[in-house]
Amino acid sequence: MKNKLDILQGTLDLMVLRTLSTLGPLHGYGIARRIEQVSGDRVILNQGTIYTSLVRLQQRAWIRSKWGVSENNRRARYYVITRAGEKQLVAQTEYWERLAAVMGRVLASERSEG
Amino acid sequence: MIPGAGWLRTVWARSVAALSRERLDREFDEELTTHLELLVDEGRRQGLSPADARRAAMHRLGRLDVLRETHREQRGLQMVDQLMQDLKYSLRMLWKTPVFTAVVALSLALGIGANTALFSLVDDLLLRSLPVRDPAHLVQVRQVVLAMGFRKPAEAFAPHAFDTMRAQNTALSDIVGFARLDRPAVLVEGEPESGRDVEQVSMNYFRDLGVAPVIGRMPDASDAAVGVVSYGWWQARFGGRPDVLGRVVTVNGQASEIVGVAPAGFHGLAIDTPADLWIAGRTSMGLQMVARTTPGLTLVQATTATDTVFRELALIPPTFKVETELLPVAGGISQLRAQYARPLLALTVLVALVLLITCTNVGNLLMVRNASRRRELTVRVALGAGRSRLVSQYLVESALLAVLGGAAALAVAQWGVSILLSMLPLTAVPESLAFNMDGRVLGFAALLSLLSALLFGLAPAWRGTRVDVTVLRSSAGSTAPARAVRTGRFLVGCQVGLSVLLLVGAGLFLQTLRNLTHVNVGFNPDNLVQVSIDTRGAGYRDGEAAGAVSRLLLERVAAIPGVRSVTAIRNPVMRHSLSRGMMRVPGLTLPPGESWETADVGPAFFETMGIPLLRGRTFAASDFAVEPRRAFIVNEAWARRYFPNDDPVARGIGIIGIVADVRLAGVRSETAPMTFMMIPKQPDRVSAIEVRTTGHPSTVFAAIRDEVRRIHPRLLVDLRMMREEIARDLATERMVAGTSAFFGLLALLLVSIGIFGVASYAVAQRTTELGIRMALGAGRWAVIRESLSDTLRVLGVGLAAGTLGAIAAVRFASRFISDLLFGLGPADAASIAAAVLIMAVVAIAACIVPARHATRIDPLRAIRCD
Repeated sequence: MKNKLDILQGTLDLMVLRTLSTLGPLHGYGIARRIEQVSGDRVILNQGTIYTSLVRLQQRAWIRSKWGVSENNRRARYYVITRAGEKQLVAQTEYWERLAAVMGRVLASERSEG
Repeated sequence: MIPGAGWLRTVWARSVAALSRERLDREFDEELTTHLELLVDEGRRQGLSPADARRAAMHRLGRLDVLRETHREQRGLQMVDQLMQDLKYSLRMLWKTPVFTAVVALSLALGIGANTALFSLVDDLLLRSLPVRDPAHLVQVRQVVLAMGFRKPAEAFAPHAFDTMRAQNTALSDIVGFARLDRPAVLVEGEPESGRDVEQVSMNYFRDLGVAPVIGRMPDASDAAVGVVSYGWWQARFGGRPDVLGRVVTVNGQASEIVGVAPAGFHGLAIDTPADLWIAGRTSMGLQMVARTTPGLTLVQATTATDTVFRELALIPPTFKVETELLPVAGGISQLRAQYARPLLALTVLVALVLLITCTNVGNLLMVRNASRRRELTVRVALGAGRSRLVSQYLVESALLAVLGGAAALAVAQWGVSILLSMLPLTAVPESLAFNMDGRVLGFAALLSLLSALLFGLAPAWRGTRVDVTVLRSSAGSTAPARAVRTGRFLVGCQVGLSVLLLVGAGLFLQTLRNLTHVNVGFNPDNLVQVSIDTRGAGYRDGEAAGAVSRLLLERVAAIPGVRSVTAIRNPVMRHSLSRGMMRVPGLTLPPGESWETADVGPAFFETMGIPLLRGRTFAASDFAVEPRRAFIVNEAWARRYFPNDDPVARGIGIIGIVADVRLAGVRSETAPMTFMMIPKQPDRVSAIEVRTTGHPSTVFAAIRDEVRRIHPRLLVDLRMMREEIARDLATERMVAGTSAFFGLLALLLVSIGIFGVASYAVAQRTTELGIRMALGAGRWAVIRESLSDTLRVLGVGLAAGTLGAIAAVRFASRFISDLLFGLGPADAASIAAAVLIMAVVAIAACIVPARHATRIDPLRAIRCD
């Protein structure tokens, strides 16, 4: 638990978009579970955090939600990525990759000099 | 208090709580529960016991209360929550300082209320359109007769004029006609109705105006004679029941069936005289003509076209000089508008100034109060409250005060309108002018409250929330920084300037009233009674009867004990109703179009009125026996104008005497050339009898009424002391002067509170410093000068700015104001000087108490207290 990254809001939002784009409609548990699996349980402090991100994405109309039934037969809210969300995902991914590349180079050179 | 507020609050509360918050909270809870259960299932699959699985699930999901809170925050409901918090907090603060709250709310109520009252009147008279289709194109068709140097509009047209206009004039459409019936005899189903106002209208009146019935139908071409009742009368007389339709009303012997009810807002085209009943049908009466101009035509083009039709059809006798006039009447036809528009607009400007002064005053009070809350604010900032949060909290408080003031303002406005109307010489207050709490008035009051809140709330909010956390470390955190004091002083300077403007206005109007009440009317108005008579109601319509009645009345009244002498005059005095005319005088060539005021008077007129005879003699009883009348009397102005060099009496040309100049038409009338003739034996009418009494005039009122009733029970008379007639003639001026004086005093009160506050603050703020100076031996005056110099400088600047502003304002609006003044110009130096002097005295007086306070500072205590 201790060494989980305190990730930026935007990063979490991006992960949610990526997940929904890949897997289609999912409820909060499904999204959280998926992110935990992919990141090797290293990103999310607790799963509830995901809901702040979900509200934020809905306010920007990048995702939509609808009520459905979960695998344990309960009423659950399913989230779906919108067209605007897909566009945003492409743009954000590109940006993130560039940033990661730059950060990687900078951090690497700093380490070698230090 | 405000209709609709409860409804609004309910919707607000429901939408916030039920719709957003409760539903969203419930849904989120459901979502979390599902999530939790899924986590539990996952734990069970991994072989945990149910209890362990649940514990692990709760741990992985996170604390539910925290999740809920962040979720809510993210949803944006926090703003509403904060607003509710601010509201609660503000209410508590206002509740804790009831005096402050009451003073602020009351002064706002007066300021906003006065403005709302005037808005209501100005709106009714000037802004509101008639509730008909396309009122913008409505015009009244008039023929103005130019004769003897004055313009007399003729408004009534015979039926054939309507027919030809409809057939020939393409510039006008929807030509409708109406006429007010003079005291008609009205029967409903055979039962007499008294005091009903009836209009005869053309058959197309309602349809072409576009007035739809509430119930029933409107008259159409196939009807013979039908009636439409007003909404008000329908409610009052027929209980608002639909069985009013089909009833028979008989007006002056003519029976009509009621076919419809007019909508509530429609009182007819003449808004001063609302009608209860309209009778539609063909009539031989002369009707006033109202029509719509054809779209696309200018008023001038339409007028020319109309004039051509009138001339081609020989509706204008060729010998007359007549002009056709199309008067736009989108707001209805109104005499009151012409009479009261200017005074009301002048008062509107004055009350707007009052509201500005009120707002600066409230702003100042708020600032002083907020200064005493600095410590609390500073603590909140230190604890992490953002400035916007503090500003919003202050604005909420201002808005609350404005709402309080605005609500009370509606009561003030209603009261104000009835006071203003009661000051006017209206025999009956027209329904159209009465205070109506409708959407427009409510909207205006609300808008004004909002603007006021911004005006008085913004500066204190901005200034008051500029806090420096470091002051917390010292004990000085409780006093305001110099900036707030400076803003306060600036506001007071503005107040002084605005007050000077207001006082100059009030001074001009008061001086006008004073001049008018000191006008020498030229006759003795004491112990004089004017009896206005109306013979038509009693059925005396011809000259012989009217003459007989007035002679009989003169005889009978003369015999009443306490009556010294009696006379008659064709038109009542002080009612602006003298007629104009001219006559051929041997040896005098008059320029064409020359005319002057003339009065037809009875025996002993000059003796009874107390008008001094300067030369010759007055009418003798024997003169009244000779017909045609030859002798006449002129006033001094007439003699000076037409016979400047010799004595017209001596010429033997019919002029038997010269009397002193006299103002009979009204107090404001000029003393122009005038002639007096004898009432003929068979006058068309005699409208007034003047009675000179030995004692107080009221003692003979009852006796005169008895005599009148004995002559004919339906003879209408109106008894007034001449002093009262003169007062009525000055009623508008009195209203303007009284109202502006009241607001002038109010402004002085507000401004002295403001100055007192700022000066006291200046002294309190420098207590320590002043104490040290006094300890070091500074004199009284030096201390006063020291403590108040800034304040006095600002007052001086305000005074100067106000004076310059006033001079500029009277220059700018000189023509507008001149019409309202009498005996002085708008740039009256005395009025301006008086205003400045009064303001200066009040300003200094308001500084005296703080100044005395400054000189009584105990140096030891002053130094110790910081």
